[in-house]
Amino acid sequence: MTDQLTTTFAALADPTRRAILARLAEGEATVNELAEPFPVTVQAISKHLKVLERAGLIARARNAQLRPSRLQGAALKEIADWLGDYRAYWDETFDRLDEHLRDG
Amino acid sequence: MAEIVVTRVFDAPRERLWRAWTEPGELARWWGKRGWTTPPESVTMDVRPGGEFSLLSVSDEDGREMRLDTTYREIVEPERLSFGEASVTFTDLGDGRTEMIFRTTSEMTDEIRRRAAGGLASAFDRLAEQLSTHDRGATR
Repeated sequence: MTDQLTTTFAALADPTRRAILARLAEGEATVNELAEPFPVTVQAISKHLKVLERAGLIARARNAQLRPSRLQGAALKEIADWLGDYRAYWDETFDRLDEHLRDG
Repeated sequence: MAEIVVTRVFDAPRERLWRAWTEPGELARWWGKRGWTTPPESVTMDVRPGGEFSLLSVSDEDGREMRLDTTYREIVEPERLSFGEASVTFTDLGDGRTEMIFRTTSEMTDEIRRRAAGGLASAFDRLAEQLSTHDRGATR
């Protein structure tokens, strides 16, 4: 399970892949459509899609010729929830620090 | 690996912030989430590179304990300190206030990793549940 999380984080570490995910949040898209806004080749986008697929972040249609990609929500949501929790932990801690400093 | 950055401005001079972060009696009064207490006697702070930084957080609700056990990496009084995967910088804003920037990565503690792995596992559990519910529905 931890390995899956590591794979997911590695996939999320790249800005182009995050941009692809943001685009897919609006709906499914083919590799050509995804490549359009980026100054990279369709092959490069294909590689990114493979990484995202392995990480369980997207799914690609198997039989359709253009193989459109779409977002797989669950893995992303787990990551977001978890990071949110972790961030909230520190936010709350530093609220307490703030109060402590005000108390003198 | 994801980075978490928290920026805060405190209405206190930089030296005051430094003390809050580096004196056990100070830190014990604010460290951790609400509802969790840090017993001052559990805090070890050997504030120098390679020195130990450890403490216990105890849940007020059920006495559960969470242990932080890490090592200081860099100490530059009063502007910067780092431990484990985290670093904190303090900037004197010149008007009695101090900006603090705290950075940490997702890999800071095993506890967090376990929780995250548990999160993914429970997602798969829910999926399995859903699928089996669906199966039962189909055979009815």
